[in-house]
Amino acid sequence: MRLPETYRTHAAPLRPLFAKELAEIMSGRALWIMLLLVCPLVGYSFFQAVSLYSEASASASQSPAAATSLSPLDGILVPTFGSFYVAVTLMFPFVAIRVLGQERESGALRLLVQLPYSPSTLIFAKLGAVLAAWSLVAIPALSTLAAWFWLGGHLAPSETLNLLLGHLLYGLLIGAVALFAATISESSATAAIITLAVTIGSWVLDFTVAGHSGLAARLAQMSLTQTLRTFEQGLFSGGLVLGIFTVVCGFAALSGVWLPPGTPKGTKFAQSLPCVLATVAALGIATQIRTSVDVTEDRRNSFLPADQHALATLRLPLVVTVNLVPEDPRYADLQRSVLGKLERAMPNVSVVLAGNKPDSAGKSDAYGEIEYAYGNRSDISRSTSPREILPLLYALAEIQPPKPTHATDYPGYPLVASAEATLPWFFGGLPLLIALAWWWSRQPPSTPAALRS
Amino acid sequence: MKAANSINHGKPADTLQATDLTKRYGDEDVIGGITFAANSGEVLGIVGPNGAGKTTLLEILAGLTPADSGNVQWRGETLLPSRRKQAMFYLPDGIRPYQDRFALDVLTFFAGVYGHSAAEISAIVASVELAPVLRKRVCALSKGYNRRLLLALGLLTPRNVLLMDEPFDGFDLRQSRNIVQVLREDAARGRTLILAIHQLADAQRVCDRFLLLAGGRVQGIGTLHELRMQTGLLQGSLEEIFLALT
Repeated sequence: MRLPETYRTHAAPLRPLFAKELAEIMSGRALWIMLLLVCPLVGYSFFQAVSLYSEASASASQSPAAATSLSPLDGILVPTFGSFYVAVTLMFPFVAIRVLGQERESGALRLLVQLPYSPSTLIFAKLGAVLAAWSLVAIPALSTLAAWFWLGGHLAPSETLNLLLGHLLYGLLIGAVALFAATISESSATAAIITLAVTIGSWVLDFTVAGHSGLAARLAQMSLTQTLRTFEQGLFSGGLVLGIFTVVCGFAALSGVWLPPGTPKGTKFAQSLPCVLATVAALGIATQIRTSVDVTEDRRNSFLPADQHALATLRLPLVVTVNLVPEDPRYADLQRSVLGKLERAMPNVSVVLAGNKPDSAGKSDAYGEIEYAYGNRSDISRSTSPREILPLLYALAEIQPPKPTHATDYPGYPLVASAEATLPWFFGGLPLLIALAWWWSRQPPSTPAALRS
Repeated sequence: MKAANSINHGKPADTLQATDLTKRYGDEDVIGGITFAANSGEVLGIVGPNGAGKTTLLEILAGLTPADSGNVQWRGETLLPSRRKQAMFYLPDGIRPYQDRFALDVLTFFAGVYGHSAAEISAIVASVELAPVLRKRVCALSKGYNRRLLLALGLLTPRNVLLMDEPFDGFDLRQSRNIVQVLREDAARGRTLILAIHQLADAQRVCDRFLLLAGGRVQGIGTLHELRMQTGLLQGSLEEIFLALT
């Protein structure tokens, strides 16, 4: 046996810690049960999505113009991964909580915190295990991509990867919330209640205040569900990615503060304050980052390239005053087809919602008007179409509209196929493989020769 | 057993010194004004009945429970609670670490953290007779084997001070004697062992010195000989001395 080590800080290797965290999360039932439940859930969603897409494709075969509206991102990926999102929201907290909850309940945490790792290293390793767990539970969803490809479907790499990134960040966000809940709770049950209160509460918040204005709209924007919307629309938003990353880091930092059992609560609260302030400050910076990339193959979030270039040269502030209530469908249309694109194309755009009073709708002649003020000139339109708005803007800026260029048309990817052949995989083959992997993971390790008695 | 001074006039560089440790829960003093020292290679027994404050004292020493006042020094330098793990390791009572994992996995993890070789693990496994249950899950271990596993984890940690809460709980007489031998050998290599024990016979078998605790207060501290002199019970057992002092 080795003599006691002299008094000094021990630089412990990270590999055993990561291996332990990974093994710990894999030895829990929650991960495997979630995997088994995700298979049929995602598989059936995929089957239904393919059926609907096939019906639409069959109709589009009569009309080539209709085919251009058929995008696998909207038709297959978003609905299929939507069911994965539901599973992650409802079940992943139980998987993530295990990385700490089990140790807390068994007393192992009292040993763990005495090992030569800082609290932040321990939390980092646990977050790594959460990431690994998300990668495992995403296998059924990822296999739908292979199934779609096998059926002859088209996948645009950039928009597919962007959607996967969105789900990964959402999973990490849920994991970080669960980890923090497990850190501050005495039991896993309490941690689960806290995490589900956040995830389901956020979900409820999203659909109950959707379409409202003012404070309700701001509250809805704080919903975790909102984080996925931008990725589902095919936008890679630098501010959003930084924002999610900031929140994950914020929860991880708070977990690190609250992990050591020997620190008085007053000290923990005092140490939490800088973490919260730093997170809020970083979130403030993230909200100012407007950089986003349209990763869709059909460039749905952008004007034609010539218009994009022309609009980028307009340096003066553009103020758009919209006299519509937020729940008006015209506002949603305007936002999607004009305002969102303008905000991405022009350096300085601000939108003022002037029609947010309840008595505005239908009671004023001005209702429905959208005023565009550029420099010291302004004009009013009621249109929500870029074909009318862009010439108006060029006129305000006193520049020549760009010459119409022949942009490469998005062909659309209609596919008439049946996903019935994939059902045995999601309802039989994959669950069987998962059950086998579960059984294998529960086998005792072989005893090294040196330890055999 | 090795003789040791009750008052630490030895080398300060090898000394753990706890001064005026106090912990209150509400109006109740769980431990109050506890001061003692422990030398390198010494086995110090914290002896007292249930509720005496033994576990609280160990957890405060290890930095797992915040003290209301007092400090802990190692080699003359104050050790803040967050740095206690650099000098000591605490094995709590009544825990089953990593219940769903195999005993071998848990040992391998600790050995990996501290960079032990297979031969070193093997020596520790042999010393605590853990080999028969290495491929069993921790949740399936008997109380005695769980205790052996914890002891093995403690022996794997290369810290100068090992704090153990009820290290003989779950062992019969023969097993306790074997474990006493293991602990004595470990202390002989220079490690300080501080053991919280409520069975006085076990304490008398293994400890060099005793800190008698009752009601959260130190009732006596010293070697058996010194405690006998203090109480006037020249042939008294630890049990008789404890009853005389409390």
